[in-house]
Amino acid sequence: MDTKQTIIAILQDITGADVSDDLDQNIFDSGLVDSMATVEMLLELQDQCGIDVPISEFDRNQWNTPNKIIEKVASMQ
Amino acid sequence: MNLVQEIDTIAQQNAARIVYDNLGTTNTYRDLKQRSDALAAQIDRLALADHAPIIVYGDQTFNTIVAMLACAKSGHAYIPVDRHSPAERLTMIEEISHAPLVIAINALPIALPGVQVIAPAALNLICQQVVPYSLTHPVNGDQIFYIIFTSGTTGKPKGVQISHDNLRSFVDWMVQDFGLPQHVVGLSQTAYSFDLSVMDLYPTLLLGGELQALDRETTGDFKRLFSALGNLKINFWVSTPSFADICLLAKTFDQAHYPQLTHFCFCGEELTASTARRLKQRFPQARIFNTYGPTETTVAVTAIEITDDILNRYDRLPIGYAKADTRVWVASTGADQSGEIMISGPTVSQGYLNAPDKTAQAFDPSDQYPAYHTGDVGVQTADGLLFFGGRMDFQIKMHGYRIELEEMNHYLNKQPQVHQGVIVPKYNHEHKVAALIAYVVTKTKQDLAQTNATLTETIKRALQTELMPYMMPQQFVYRDQLPLNMNGKVDIKALIKEVNPNG
Repeated sequence: MDTKQTIIAILQDITGADVSDDLDQNIFDSGLVDSMATVEMLLELQDQCGIDVPISEFDRNQWNTPNKIIEKVASMQ
Repeated sequence: MNLVQEIDTIAQQNAARIVYDNLGTTNTYRDLKQRSDALAAQIDRLALADHAPIIVYGDQTFNTIVAMLACAKSGHAYIPVDRHSPAERLTMIEEISHAPLVIAINALPIALPGVQVIAPAALNLICQQVVPYSLTHPVNGDQIFYIIFTSGTTGKPKGVQISHDNLRSFVDWMVQDFGLPQHVVGLSQTAYSFDLSVMDLYPTLLLGGELQALDRETTGDFKRLFSALGNLKINFWVSTPSFADICLLAKTFDQAHYPQLTHFCFCGEELTASTARRLKQRFPQARIFNTYGPTETTVAVTAIEITDDILNRYDRLPIGYAKADTRVWVASTGADQSGEIMISGPTVSQGYLNAPDKTAQAFDPSDQYPAYHTGDVGVQTADGLLFFGGRMDFQIKMHGYRIELEEMNHYLNKQPQVHQGVIVPKYNHEHKVAALIAYVVTKTKQDLAQTNATLTETIKRALQTELMPYMMPQQFVYRDQLPLNMNGKVDIKALIKEVNPNG
Protein backbone atom coordinates (compact mmCIF):
# COMPACT_ATOMS: atom_id res chain seq x y z
CA MET A 1 0.00 0.00 0.00
CA ASP A 2 1.21 3.48 -0.70
CA THR A 3 1.02 6.26 1.86
CA LYS A 4 -2.29 7.55 0.54
CA GLN A 5 -4.00 4.18 0.76
CA THR A 6 -2.50 3.50 4.17
CA ILE A 7 -3.85 6.77 5.52
CA ILE A 8 -7.30 6.21 4.05
CA ALA A 9 -7.31 2.74 5.65
CA ILE A 10 -6.22 4.15 9.03
CA LEU A 11 -8.99 6.74 8.95
CA GLN A 12 -11.48 4.04 7.95
CA ASP A 13 -10.41 1.86 10.91
CA ILE A 14 -10.68 4.72 13.37
CA THR A 15 -13.82 6.48 12.19
CA GLY A 16 -15.68 3.87 10.19
CA ALA A 17 -15.94 6.39 7.36
CA ASP A 18 -14.51 6.12 3.86
CA VAL A 19 -12.91 9.50 3.25
CA SER A 20 -11.65 8.70 -0.25
CA ASP A 21 -14.44 10.61 -2.09
CA ASP A 22 -13.42 13.90 -0.47
CA LEU A 23 -9.80 14.14 0.55
CA ASP A 24 -10.12 17.85 1.29
CA GLN A 25 -12.84 17.57 3.94
CA ASN A 26 -11.99 19.00 7.33
CA ILE A 27 -11.98 15.95 9.57
CA PHE A 28 -12.01 17.97 12.81
CA ASP A 29 -14.77 20.46 11.92
CA SER A 30 -17.09 17.66 10.85
CA GLY A 31 -16.49 15.88 14.16
CA LEU A 32 -15.28 12.79 12.29
CA VAL A 33 -12.04 12.86 14.26
CA ASP A 34 -12.20 14.05 17.87
CA SER A 35 -9.31 14.47 20.27
CA MET A 36 -9.13 10.80 21.26
CA ALA A 37 -9.37 9.70 17.65
CA THR A 38 -6.51 12.11 16.87
CA VAL A 39 -4.37 10.18 19.33
CA GLU A 40 -5.23 6.89 17.71
CA MET A 41 -4.54 8.34 14.28
CA LEU A 42 -1.10 9.59 15.33
CA LEU A 43 -0.27 6.24 16.97
CA GLU A 44 -1.23 4.39 13.80
CA LEU A 45 0.75 6.82 11.64
CA GLN A 46 3.79 6.21 13.84
CA ASP A 47 3.37 2.44 13.62
CA GLN A 48 2.34 2.03 10.01
CA CYS A 49 4.15 4.89 8.27
CA GLY A 50 7.24 4.95 10.47
CA ILE A 51 7.07 8.67 11.17
CA ASP A 52 7.52 10.55 14.42
CA VAL A 53 5.04 13.32 15.01
CA PRO A 54 6.56 16.06 17.18
CA ILE A 55 3.59 15.91 19.50
CA SER A 56 4.45 18.82 21.75
CA GLU A 57 4.29 21.07 18.69
CA PHE A 58 1.27 19.40 17.14
CA ASP A 59 -0.81 21.95 15.24
CA ARG A 60 -4.21 20.61 14.26
CA ASN A 61 -4.52 23.03 11.35
CA GLN A 62 -1.69 21.31 9.56
CA TRP A 63 -3.41 17.92 9.84
CA ASN A 64 -7.08 18.75 9.29
CA THR A 65 -7.77 17.10 5.91
CA PRO A 66 -6.84 13.67 4.53
CA ASN A 67 -4.80 15.37 1.78
CA LYS A 68 -2.83 17.44 4.30
CA ILE A 69 -2.11 14.32 6.36
CA ILE A 70 -0.92 12.46 3.25
CA GLU A 71 1.34 15.37 2.30
CA LYS A 72 2.65 15.79 5.84
CA VAL A 73 3.43 12.09 6.26
CA ALA A 74 5.13 11.88 2.86
CA SER A 75 7.33 14.84 3.78
CA MET A 76 8.37 13.17 7.01
CA GLN A 77 9.13 9.74 5.57
CA MET B 1 -12.34 3.73 61.81
CA ASN B 2 -14.37 6.52 60.30
CA LEU B 3 -12.80 7.73 57.05
CA VAL B 4 -13.70 11.39 57.58
CA GLN B 5 -12.28 11.33 61.09
CA GLU B 6 -9.08 9.75 59.80
CA ILE B 7 -8.63 12.29 56.99
CA ASP B 8 -9.24 15.08 59.50
CA THR B 9 -6.53 13.71 61.81
CA ILE B 10 -4.10 13.31 58.91
CA ALA B 11 -4.83 16.89 57.84
CA GLN B 12 -3.86 18.11 61.31
CA GLN B 13 -0.70 16.00 61.46
CA ASN B 14 0.41 17.14 58.00
CA ALA B 15 -0.82 20.73 58.21
CA ALA B 16 2.14 22.27 56.41
CA ARG B 17 2.27 19.69 53.62
CA ILE B 18 0.89 20.38 50.17
CA VAL B 19 -2.26 18.40 49.47
CA TYR B 20 -3.24 19.83 46.08
CA ASP B 21 -1.21 21.28 43.26
CA ASN B 22 -3.27 22.62 40.40
CA LEU B 23 -0.77 23.60 37.68
CA GLY B 24 1.41 25.39 40.22
CA THR B 25 -1.33 26.77 42.49
CA THR B 26 -0.84 24.87 45.74
CA ASN B 27 -2.86 24.31 48.89
CA THR B 28 -1.88 22.62 52.14
CA TYR B 29 -3.61 20.20 54.49
CA ARG B 30 -4.11 23.20 56.79
CA ASP B 31 -6.18 24.84 53.99
CA LEU B 32 -8.09 21.59 53.49
CA LYS B 33 -9.05 21.35 57.15
CA GLN B 34 -9.81 25.03 57.64
CA ARG B 35 -11.92 25.38 54.50
CA SER B 36 -13.79 22.07 54.88
CA ASP B 37 -14.53 22.91 58.54
CA ALA B 38 -15.90 26.34 57.62
CA LEU B 39 -18.00 24.94 54.78
CA ALA B 40 -19.28 22.02 56.90
CA ALA B 41 -20.36 24.51 59.58
CA GLN B 42 -22.20 26.52 56.93
CA ILE B 43 -23.95 23.38 55.61
CA ASP B 44 -25.00 22.54 59.19
CA ARG B 45 -26.49 26.02 59.56
CA LEU B 46 -28.71 25.44 56.52
CA ALA B 47 -30.45 22.66 58.48
CA LEU B 48 -31.07 20.46 55.45
CA ALA B 49 -32.99 17.21 55.89
CA ASP B 50 -30.77 14.57 57.52
CA HIS B 51 -28.44 12.89 55.03
CA ALA B 52 -30.00 14.69 52.04
CA PRO B 53 -27.50 14.55 49.16
CA ILE B 54 -25.70 17.70 47.99
CA ILE B 55 -24.61 18.39 44.41
CA VAL B 56 -21.00 19.52 44.06
CA TYR B 57 -20.59 21.22 40.68
CA GLY B 58 -17.01 21.82 39.59
CA ASP B 59 -13.92 20.21 38.17
CA GLN B 60 -10.18 19.79 38.89
CA THR B 61 -9.77 22.54 41.49
CA PHE B 62 -8.94 22.46 45.18
CA ASN B 63 -12.33 23.76 46.31
CA THR B 64 -14.04 20.79 44.67
CA ILE B 65 -12.35 18.38 47.08
CA VAL B 66 -12.93 20.87 49.93
CA ALA B 67 -16.66 20.75 49.12
CA MET B 68 -16.79 16.95 48.88
CA LEU B 69 -15.06 16.61 52.24
CA ALA B 70 -17.28 19.28 53.83
CA CYS B 71 -20.39 17.35 52.76
CA ALA B 72 -18.99 14.18 54.36
CA LYS B 73 -18.15 16.07 57.56
CA SER B 74 -21.67 17.43 57.86
CA GLY B 75 -23.22 14.00 57.32
CA HIS B 76 -24.39 14.45 53.72
CA ALA B 77 -23.64 12.43 50.60
CA TYR B 78 -22.20 14.42 47.72
CA ILE B 79 -23.07 14.08 44.04
CA PRO B 80 -20.15 15.24 41.89
CA VAL B 81 -21.26 16.84 38.61
CA ASP B 82 -18.56 17.93 36.21
CA ARG B 83 -18.86 21.50 34.96
CA HIS B 84 -18.43 20.30 31.38
CA SER B 85 -21.75 18.42 31.55
CA PRO B 86 -24.70 19.74 29.53
CA ALA B 87 -27.12 21.86 31.59
CA GLU B 88 -29.85 19.31 30.96
CA ARG B 89 -27.92 16.69 32.90
CA LEU B 90 -27.74 18.93 35.95
CA THR B 91 -31.52 19.39 35.84
CA MET B 92 -32.09 15.66 35.48
CA ILE B 93 -29.78 14.79 38.38
CA GLU B 94 -31.58 17.38 40.50
CA GLU B 95 -34.96 15.86 39.57
CA ILE B 96 -33.87 12.35 40.50
CA SER B 97 -31.93 13.21 43.65
CA HIS B 98 -34.07 16.08 45.06
CA ALA B 99 -30.80 17.54 46.34
CA PRO B 100 -31.75 20.59 48.47
CA LEU B 101 -28.36 22.25 47.97
CA VAL B 102 -25.79 22.78 45.22
CA ILE B 103 -22.25 23.86 46.04
CA ALA B 104 -21.16 25.60 42.85
CA ILE B 105 -17.38 25.74 42.54
CA ASN B 106 -18.07 27.14 39.08
CA ALA B 107 -21.09 29.26 38.20
CA LEU B 108 -24.13 27.14 37.34
CA PRO B 109 -25.16 27.20 33.66
CA ILE B 110 -28.89 27.25 34.55
CA ALA B 111 -31.17 28.17 37.42
CA LEU B 112 -32.45 25.28 39.54
CA PRO B 113 -35.77 26.43 40.98
CA GLY B 114 -36.33 25.65 44.65
CA VAL B 115 -32.76 24.61 45.28
CA GLN B 116 -30.36 26.48 47.56
CA VAL B 117 -27.06 27.35 45.92
CA ILE B 118 -23.73 28.29 47.46
CA ALA B 119 -22.39 30.29 44.53
CA PRO B 120 -18.64 30.66 43.80
CA ALA B 121 -18.36 34.12 45.42
CA ALA B 122 -20.13 33.01 48.61
CA LEU B 123 -18.03 29.85 48.70
CA ASN B 124 -14.84 31.90 48.56
CA LEU B 125 -16.03 34.02 51.47
CA ILE B 126 -16.97 30.95 53.52
CA CYS B 127 -13.60 29.36 52.77
CA GLN B 128 -11.78 32.39 54.19
CA GLN B 129 -13.39 31.99 57.59
CA VAL B 130 -11.79 30.16 60.48
CA VAL B 131 -14.54 28.23 62.25
CA PRO B 132 -13.81 25.68 64.97
CA TYR B 133 -15.71 22.55 63.95
CA SER B 134 -16.20 19.43 65.98
CA LEU B 135 -16.77 16.32 63.97
CA THR B 136 -19.90 14.97 65.64
CA HIS B 137 -21.90 13.59 62.72
CA PRO B 138 -19.74 12.67 59.73
CA VAL B 139 -21.05 10.16 57.18
CA ASN B 140 -20.55 6.74 58.75
CA GLY B 141 -21.38 3.03 58.40
CA ASP B 142 -24.14 2.34 55.85
CA GLN B 143 -24.79 6.03 55.27
CA ILE B 144 -24.14 7.20 51.71
CA PHE B 145 -20.79 8.89 51.12
CA TYR B 146 -21.12 9.74 47.44
CA ILE B 147 -23.53 9.20 44.56
CA ILE B 148 -22.21 8.95 41.03
CA PHE B 149 -24.58 9.16 38.09
CA THR B 150 -24.01 6.83 35.17
CA SER B 151 -25.71 6.46 31.83
CA GLY B 152 -29.15 4.84 32.04
CA THR B 153 -31.13 3.03 29.35
CA THR B 154 -34.19 5.24 29.08
CA GLY B 155 -32.57 8.63 28.94
CA LYS B 156 -32.55 8.89 32.73
CA PRO B 157 -29.18 8.54 34.43
CA LYS B 158 -28.86 6.18 37.42
CA GLY B 159 -27.39 7.38 40.72
CA VAL B 160 -25.08 4.73 42.18
CA GLN B 161 -24.99 5.09 45.97
CA ILE B 162 -21.67 4.30 47.64
CA SER B 163 -21.70 4.11 51.43
CA HIS B 164 -19.00 5.02 53.93
CA ASP B 165 -18.29 1.32 54.51
CA ASN B 166 -18.15 0.59 50.75
CA LEU B 167 -15.57 3.34 50.33
CA ARG B 168 -13.64 2.36 53.47
CA SER B 169 -13.25 -1.20 52.19
CA PHE B 170 -12.10 -0.03 48.75
CA VAL B 171 -9.60 2.51 50.06
CA ASP B 172 -8.09 0.06 52.58
CA TRP B 173 -7.50 -2.40 49.74
CA MET B 174 -5.79 0.27 47.63
CA VAL B 175 -3.54 1.34 50.47
CA GLN B 176 -2.65 -2.21 51.56
CA ASP B 177 -2.41 -4.19 48.32
CA PHE B 178 -0.74 -1.81 45.87
CA GLY B 179 2.39 -0.93 47.85
CA LEU B 180 1.80 2.83 47.77
CA PRO B 181 4.32 4.79 49.89
CA GLN B 182 3.54 7.28 52.67
CA HIS B 183 3.08 10.82 51.30
CA VAL B 184 2.48 9.42 47.83
CA VAL B 185 2.10 11.99 45.06
CA GLY B 186 -0.85 11.04 42.87
CA LEU B 187 -2.19 12.24 39.54
CA SER B 188 -5.68 13.77 39.62
CA GLN B 189 -6.76 13.80 36.00
CA THR B 190 -10.10 11.99 35.76
CA ALA B 191 -13.23 14.07 36.35
CA TYR B 192 -14.58 13.80 39.91
CA SER B 193 -17.94 12.79 38.42
CA PHE B 194 -16.24 9.62 37.13
CA ASP B 195 -15.51 7.15 39.94
CA LEU B 196 -12.01 6.38 38.67
CA SER B 197 -11.06 9.65 40.41
CA VAL B 198 -11.82 7.95 43.76
CA MET B 199 -8.87 5.64 43.08
CA ASP B 200 -6.37 8.49 43.39
CA LEU B 201 -8.23 10.89 45.69
CA TYR B 202 -8.85 8.90 48.88
CA PRO B 203 -5.76 6.66 48.96
CA THR B 204 -3.62 9.79 48.48
CA LEU B 205 -5.40 11.65 51.32
CA LEU B 206 -5.12 8.66 53.67
CA LEU B 207 -1.38 8.48 53.02
CA GLY B 208 -0.93 12.18 53.74
CA GLY B 209 0.04 12.61 50.12
CA GLU B 210 -0.36 15.19 47.40
CA LEU B 211 -2.57 15.34 44.33
CA GLN B 212 -1.25 17.00 41.19
CA ALA B 213 -4.14 17.97 38.95
CA LEU B 214 -4.54 18.17 35.19
CA ASP B 215 -7.84 19.74 34.17
CA ARG B 216 -9.73 19.20 30.96
CA GLU B 217 -8.64 22.45 29.37
CA THR B 218 -5.07 21.20 29.75
CA THR B 219 -5.55 17.57 28.71
CA GLY B 220 -7.63 18.62 25.69
CA ASP B 221 -4.81 20.62 24.14
CA PHE B 222 -1.66 18.67 23.25
CA LYS B 223 0.68 21.64 23.52
CA ARG B 224 -0.55 22.56 26.99
CA LEU B 225 -0.77 18.96 28.10
CA PHE B 226 2.81 18.10 27.26
CA SER B 227 4.17 21.21 28.85
CA ALA B 228 2.14 20.58 32.05
CA LEU B 229 3.04 16.88 32.05
CA GLY B 230 6.71 17.79 32.10
CA ASN B 231 6.19 19.65 35.39
CA LEU B 232 4.52 16.76 37.21
CA LYS B 233 6.47 14.96 39.91
CA ILE B 234 4.14 12.07 40.63
CA ASN B 235 4.66 8.52 41.95
CA PHE B 236 1.17 7.22 41.43
CA TRP B 237 -0.56 7.38 38.07
CA VAL B 238 -4.30 6.73 37.80
CA SER B 239 -6.05 7.10 34.46
CA THR B 240 -7.83 5.27 31.71
CA PRO B 241 -5.54 3.45 29.30
CA SER B 242 -6.70 5.95 26.64
CA PHE B 243 -5.11 8.83 28.53
CA ALA B 244 -1.85 6.91 28.89
CA ASP B 245 -1.93 6.38 25.11
CA ILE B 246 -1.99 10.15 24.64
CA CYS B 247 0.98 10.63 26.97
CA LEU B 248 2.92 7.86 25.26
CA LEU B 249 2.84 9.95 22.10
CA ALA B 250 5.55 12.08 23.71
CA LYS B 251 8.92 10.38 23.49
CA THR B 252 9.93 12.01 26.77
CA PHE B 253 7.22 10.13 28.66
CA ASP B 254 9.65 7.62 30.14
CA GLN B 255 11.54 6.63 33.27
CA ALA B 256 14.44 8.99 32.57
CA HIS B 257 12.10 12.01 32.57
CA TYR B 258 9.78 10.78 35.33
CA PRO B 259 12.10 8.89 37.68
CA GLN B 260 9.68 9.10 40.65
CA LEU B 261 6.81 7.45 38.74
CA THR B 262 6.57 3.98 40.30
CA HIS B 263 2.90 2.98 40.05
CA PHE B 264 0.42 2.93 37.19
CA CYS B 265 -3.16 1.92 38.01
CA PHE B 266 -5.61 1.50 35.16
CA CYS B 267 -9.34 1.08 35.23
CA GLY B 268 -12.39 2.28 33.34
CA GLU B 269 -11.77 0.45 30.08
CA GLU B 270 -9.80 -2.44 28.68
CA LEU B 271 -6.01 -2.17 29.03
CA THR B 272 -4.66 -3.56 25.79
CA ALA B 273 -1.46 -5.59 25.64
CA SER B 274 0.01 -3.06 23.22
CA THR B 275 -0.48 -0.10 25.61
CA ALA B 276 0.92 -2.13 28.54
CA ARG B 277 3.89 -3.29 26.48
CA ARG B 278 4.77 0.23 25.34
CA LEU B 279 4.48 1.49 28.90
CA LYS B 280 6.68 -1.31 30.22
CA GLN B 281 9.35 -0.43 27.65
CA ARG B 282 9.29 3.23 28.69
CA PHE B 283 9.07 2.54 32.44
CA PRO B 284 10.84 -0.77 33.00
CA GLN B 285 10.99 -0.25 36.75
CA ALA B 286 7.43 0.91 37.39
CA ARG B 287 4.66 -1.42 38.52
CA ILE B 288 1.64 -1.51 36.21
CA PHE B 289 -1.71 -2.66 37.59
CA ASN B 290 -4.77 -3.54 35.58
CA THR B 291 -7.97 -3.33 37.60
CA TYR B 292 -11.65 -3.91 36.96
CA GLY B 293 -14.93 -3.03 38.57
CA PRO B 294 -18.24 -1.34 37.82
CA THR B 295 -19.20 1.92 39.59
CA GLU B 296 -21.82 -0.17 41.46
CA THR B 297 -19.07 -2.05 43.33
CA THR B 298 -16.94 1.01 44.23
CA VAL B 299 -14.35 1.71 41.54
CA ALA B 300 -12.60 -1.68 41.29
CA VAL B 301 -12.74 -5.15 42.83
CA THR B 302 -10.13 -7.10 40.88
CA ALA B 303 -6.50 -6.32 40.16
CA ILE B 304 -3.36 -7.84 38.71
CA GLU B 305 0.14 -6.54 38.21
CA ILE B 306 1.07 -6.69 34.54
CA THR B 307 4.53 -8.23 34.48
CA ASP B 308 6.64 -9.31 31.50
CA ASP B 309 5.52 -12.84 32.24
CA ILE B 310 1.83 -11.86 31.98
CA LEU B 311 2.54 -9.95 28.76
CA ASN B 312 4.27 -12.96 27.25
CA ARG B 313 1.50 -15.29 28.27
CA TYR B 314 -1.67 -13.45 27.18
CA ASP B 315 -2.73 -11.58 24.04
CA ARG B 316 -5.76 -10.16 25.79
CA LEU B 317 -4.74 -9.16 29.30
CA PRO B 318 -6.48 -10.59 32.37
CA ILE B 319 -8.39 -8.14 34.60
CA GLY B 320 -7.18 -9.71 37.81
CA TYR B 321 -8.03 -11.55 41.00
CA ALA B 322 -10.79 -10.47 43.40
CA LYS B 323 -9.83 -8.50 46.48
CA ALA B 324 -9.60 -10.86 49.47
CA ASP B 325 -12.97 -10.09 51.08
CA THR B 326 -14.94 -10.11 47.81
CA ARG B 327 -16.43 -12.95 45.84
CA VAL B 328 -16.28 -12.57 42.06
CA TRP B 329 -17.62 -15.38 39.94
CA VAL B 330 -18.90 -16.14 36.47
CA ALA B 331 -22.51 -17.27 36.21
CA SER B 332 -21.56 -19.69 33.50
CA THR B 333 -23.97 -20.27 30.68
CA GLY B 334 -22.07 -21.34 27.58
CA ALA B 335 -20.02 -24.39 26.73
CA ASP B 336 -16.99 -22.10 26.61
CA GLN B 337 -17.43 -21.41 30.35
CA SER B 338 -18.12 -17.76 29.72
CA GLY B 339 -20.99 -15.97 31.40
CA GLU B 340 -22.02 -12.93 33.38
CA ILE B 341 -19.52 -11.63 35.94
CA MET B 342 -21.12 -11.49 39.41
CA ILE B 343 -19.74 -9.56 42.37
CA SER B 344 -20.58 -9.83 46.06
CA GLY B 345 -18.64 -8.16 48.85
CA PRO B 346 -18.31 -5.20 51.20
CA THR B 347 -17.92 -2.69 48.36
CA VAL B 348 -21.17 -3.59 46.60
CA SER B 349 -23.61 -0.66 46.55
CA GLN B 350 -27.03 -0.73 48.23
CA GLY B 351 -28.47 0.25 44.86
CA TYR B 352 -29.58 3.19 42.75
CA LEU B 353 -30.88 6.40 44.32
CA ASN B 354 -34.69 6.60 44.29
CA ALA B 355 -34.95 3.77 41.77
CA PRO B 356 -36.08 0.57 43.54
CA ASP B 357 -37.06 -1.17 40.28
CA LYS B 358 -33.67 -0.65 38.68
CA THR B 359 -32.00 -1.72 41.92
CA ALA B 360 -34.04 -4.93 42.10
CA GLN B 361 -33.11 -5.76 38.49
CA ALA B 362 -29.38 -5.48 39.07
CA PHE B 363 -28.80 -6.48 42.70
CA ASP B 364 -29.69 -9.78 44.40
CA PRO B 365 -30.27 -9.29 48.10
CA SER B 366 -28.50 -11.74 50.35
CA ASP B 367 -27.70 -12.28 54.02
CA GLN B 368 -24.42 -10.45 54.14
CA TYR B 369 -23.65 -8.48 50.97
CA PRO B 370 -25.82 -8.01 47.90
CA ALA B 371 -24.67 -9.64 44.66
CA TYR B 372 -24.38 -7.33 41.66
CA HIS B 373 -25.11 -8.47 38.10
CA THR B 374 -22.44 -6.63 36.13
CA GLY B 375 -23.82 -7.29 32.65
CA ASP B 376 -20.19 -7.94 31.69
CA VAL B 377 -19.22 -11.25 30.14
CA GLY B 378 -16.16 -12.98 31.54
CA VAL B 379 -14.29 -16.23 31.98
CA GLN B 380 -12.40 -17.27 35.10
CA THR B 381 -9.58 -19.74 35.54
CA ALA B 382 -9.68 -22.39 38.30
CA ASP B 383 -7.46 -20.23 40.52
CA GLY B 384 -9.75 -17.23 40.12
CA LEU B 385 -8.03 -15.16 37.42
CA LEU B 386 -10.68 -13.19 35.55
CA PHE B 387 -10.81 -12.25 31.84
CA PHE B 388 -13.19 -9.72 30.31
CA GLY B 389 -15.13 -10.69 27.23
CA GLY B 390 -17.48 -7.83 26.37
CA ARG B 391 -21.03 -6.81 27.28
CA MET B 392 -24.30 -8.71 27.45
CA ASP B 393 -26.31 -5.61 26.50
CA PHE B 394 -25.79 -2.46 24.49
CA GLN B 395 -23.63 -0.71 27.03
CA ILE B 396 -20.27 0.30 25.64
CA LYS B 397 -17.09 1.86 26.96
CA MET B 398 -15.58 4.64 24.90
CA HIS B 399 -12.31 6.15 26.10
CA GLY B 400 -13.28 5.07 29.61
CA TYR B 401 -16.78 6.52 29.54
CA ARG B 402 -19.69 4.22 30.12
CA ILE B 403 -22.44 4.74 27.57
CA GLU B 404 -25.79 3.00 27.16
CA LEU B 405 -26.58 2.96 23.45
CA GLU B 406 -30.28 2.78 24.31
CA GLU B 407 -30.05 6.08 26.16
CA MET B 408 -28.50 7.77 23.16
CA ASN B 409 -31.04 6.19 20.82
CA HIS B 410 -33.76 7.63 23.01
CA TYR B 411 -32.42 11.15 22.47
CA LEU B 412 -31.75 10.63 18.78
CA ASN B 413 -35.31 9.46 18.19
CA LYS B 414 -36.71 12.48 20.03
CA GLN B 415 -35.38 14.80 17.32
CA PRO B 416 -38.15 16.14 15.06
CA GLN B 417 -36.29 15.24 11.85
CA VAL B 418 -35.69 11.63 12.87
CA HIS B 419 -38.19 8.93 11.97
CA GLN B 420 -35.95 6.12 13.15
CA GLY B 421 -32.39 6.18 14.35
CA VAL B 422 -29.83 4.02 16.08
CA ILE B 423 -26.28 4.58 17.17
CA VAL B 424 -23.75 1.89 16.37
CA PRO B 425 -20.24 1.49 17.77
CA LYS B 426 -17.31 1.13 15.39
CA TYR B 427 -14.60 -1.08 16.90
CA ASN B 428 -10.94 -0.73 15.93
CA HIS B 429 -8.60 -3.69 15.49
CA GLU B 430 -7.95 -3.81 19.26
CA HIS B 431 -11.67 -4.35 20.09
CA LYS B 432 -11.96 -0.81 21.44
CA VAL B 433 -14.81 1.46 20.46
CA ALA B 434 -13.18 4.01 18.18
CA ALA B 435 -16.24 5.91 16.97
CA LEU B 436 -20.03 6.11 17.16
CA ILE B 437 -22.05 6.15 13.97
CA ALA B 438 -25.68 7.28 13.89
CA TYR B 439 -27.91 5.61 11.30
CA VAL B 440 -30.97 7.70 10.60
CA VAL B 441 -34.14 7.44 8.54
CA THR B 442 -35.55 10.96 8.24
CA LYS B 443 -39.24 11.72 8.77
CA THR B 444 -39.99 13.43 5.49
CA LYS B 445 -38.42 13.46 2.10
CA GLN B 446 -38.20 17.21 2.50
CA ASP B 447 -35.52 16.70 5.11
CA LEU B 448 -33.48 14.91 2.51
CA ALA B 449 -33.69 17.97 0.32
CA GLN B 450 -31.40 19.67 2.78
CA THR B 451 -27.85 18.64 2.31
CA ASN B 452 -26.89 15.89 4.70
CA ALA B 453 -24.21 18.09 6.24
CA THR B 454 -26.77 20.76 7.20
CA LEU B 455 -29.13 18.14 8.60
CA THR B 456 -26.31 16.58 10.63
CA GLU B 457 -25.36 20.00 11.93
CA THR B 458 -28.96 20.66 13.05
CA ILE B 459 -29.36 17.30 14.80
CA LYS B 460 -25.96 17.58 16.47
CA ARG B 461 -26.75 21.03 17.81
CA ALA B 462 -29.98 19.75 19.36
CA LEU B 463 -28.27 16.68 20.83
CA GLN B 464 -25.52 18.81 22.37
CA THR B 465 -27.96 20.18 24.92
CA GLU B 466 -28.77 16.69 26.20
CA LEU B 467 -25.81 14.41 25.60
CA MET B 468 -22.43 14.47 27.29
CA PRO B 469 -19.81 15.60 24.74
CA TYR B 470 -18.24 12.13 24.62
CA MET B 471 -21.58 10.62 23.61
CA MET B 472 -21.86 12.61 20.37
CA PRO B 473 -21.72 10.38 17.27
CA GLN B 474 -18.76 11.18 15.03
CA GLN B 475 -20.69 10.35 11.88
CA PHE B 476 -24.29 10.44 10.65
CA VAL B 477 -25.42 8.14 7.87
CA TYR B 478 -28.83 8.62 6.23
CA ARG B 479 -30.76 5.64 4.89
CA ASP B 480 -34.17 5.07 3.33
CA GLN B 481 -34.71 2.21 5.75
CA LEU B 482 -32.91 0.29 8.49
CA PRO B 483 -32.78 -3.50 8.90
CA LEU B 484 -35.47 -4.82 11.26
CA ASN B 485 -35.41 -7.90 13.48
CA MET B 486 -38.25 -10.36 13.95
CA ASN B 487 -39.93 -8.12 16.50
CA GLY B 488 -40.06 -5.28 14.02
CA LYS B 489 -37.44 -3.28 15.90
CA VAL B 490 -34.30 -1.90 14.33
CA ASP B 491 -31.81 -4.75 14.20
CA ILE B 492 -28.88 -3.12 15.97
CA LYS B 493 -26.85 -6.33 15.86
CA ALA B 494 -27.09 -6.47 12.07
CA LEU B 495 -25.90 -2.87 11.84
CA ILE B 496 -23.03 -3.57 14.26
CA LYS B 497 -22.02 -6.43 11.94
CA GLU B 498 -22.25 -4.16 8.92
CA VAL B 499 -20.04 -1.51 10.54
CA ASN B 500 -17.57 -4.09 11.88
CA PRO B 501 -17.34 -6.75 9.18
CA ASN B 502 -14.21 -8.30 10.69
CA GLY B 503 -15.37 -8.16 14.30
